[in-house]
Amino acid sequence: MSNMLTVKEPHPPGDFAIWIIIYVELLTFALLFLGFAFSRRSDIEMFNASQLQLDQISGFINTLILITSSYFVAKAVQSIKHMTDERIKEASRAAARWLLFAIVSAGGFLVVKMLDFIHVFGQGITLSTNKFFMFYIMLTVFHFMHVLLGSFILTVLYRKTKAQGYTQNDHKGLETGASYWHMVDLLWIVLFPLVYIIR
Amino acid sequence: MKKTLEIVWVVLTMLTVFAFALGYTNHVNSLLVGFLLVTTFIKGQSVIDHFMGLKDVRLKYRLIPFFWLAVTLSLIAAAYYLPITA
Repeated sequence: MSNMLTVKEPHPPGDFAIWIIIYVELLTFALLFLGFAFSRRSDIEMFNASQLQLDQISGFINTLILITSSYFVAKAVQSIKHMTDERIKEASRAAARWLLFAIVSAGGFLVVKMLDFIHVFGQGITLSTNKFFMFYIMLTVFHFMHVLLGSFILTVLYRKTKAQGYTQNDHKGLETGASYWHMVDLLWIVLFPLVYIIR
Repeated sequence: MKKTLEIVWVVLTMLTVFAFALGYTNHVNSLLVGFLLVTTFIKGQSVIDHFMGLKDVRLKYRLIPFFWLAVTLSLIAAAYYLPITA
C-alpha cells in the first residue's frame, strides 16, 4: 500500500525565485487576457472583424512550435534527472541535443512571429487603430519579448549542459530555466485561442 | 519505460489542431467557445503537471497555477457568455 503513495517534492522544480517571477507574469498576462475579453463586449463586431485580419495559420504554427519546444526542454530535464554516474557524458550529450532542438524551435517561433508582425504592421495597424489591435500588439509583443529572453536562457542552459555542468543531484539551474520556458508556452496556450480563434 | 511526455505532446498537438480547424473553417459558435476554453484548460493543466513537473510537488504549489488557469478561463467564459446590457 505504501508503495502506491507518491512522495511529493517539498518545493517546485528549480530556484524558488523563478516561481515568484512566474506567478507575477501569470497575473500580469491574466489581466491583459481579461482586458481583451471584457473590452470585446463593448464592440463585438469590430473585434470579430479585426480578428479576421490576423493570420491564423501563423498563430497555429507558433502554437505547435512552442508546445514542441516545451516537450524538448522537458526531455532535456528528464535526461539529466535520470542520468547515472557512469553515463554523465551520454546523458549530458542527450540533454544538450534536446535543448538545441528547443533553441531551434524558439528561433522558428521568432521568425514566424516577425513575419506575422510584418503582415500586421504592413497594413498600417498601430496601437491606436482600435482596442482589438491595442490588446493584440500589447499581448503578442510582450510575449515575443519573453520568447526572446527564453531563447537566451535556453542557450545558456545548452552551453552548460554540453559542458557536463549538470548532474543528477545538481541541476537546479536547468530546472529554473526550463520552468521559465514552460511558462512562456503556457501563456501562449491561453493567448492563441483567445486572440486568434474564439469569436 | 513510461512515455508520459510523448503522450502529453500528442494530446496538446491534437487539441491545437482541433482548435485551429474550428477557427479556420469558421465553425466557432457560442457553444464551441466553452468547449474550446475547456480544451485550453486541459492543455494548460497538462503543461503545468507534466512539463513544469508540478504533479510531483506539494499540492499548494500545484494549486496556484491551477487556480490561475481556472479563474482566468472562467472569467473569459463569463465575458463571452454574460448578456450585454445596453
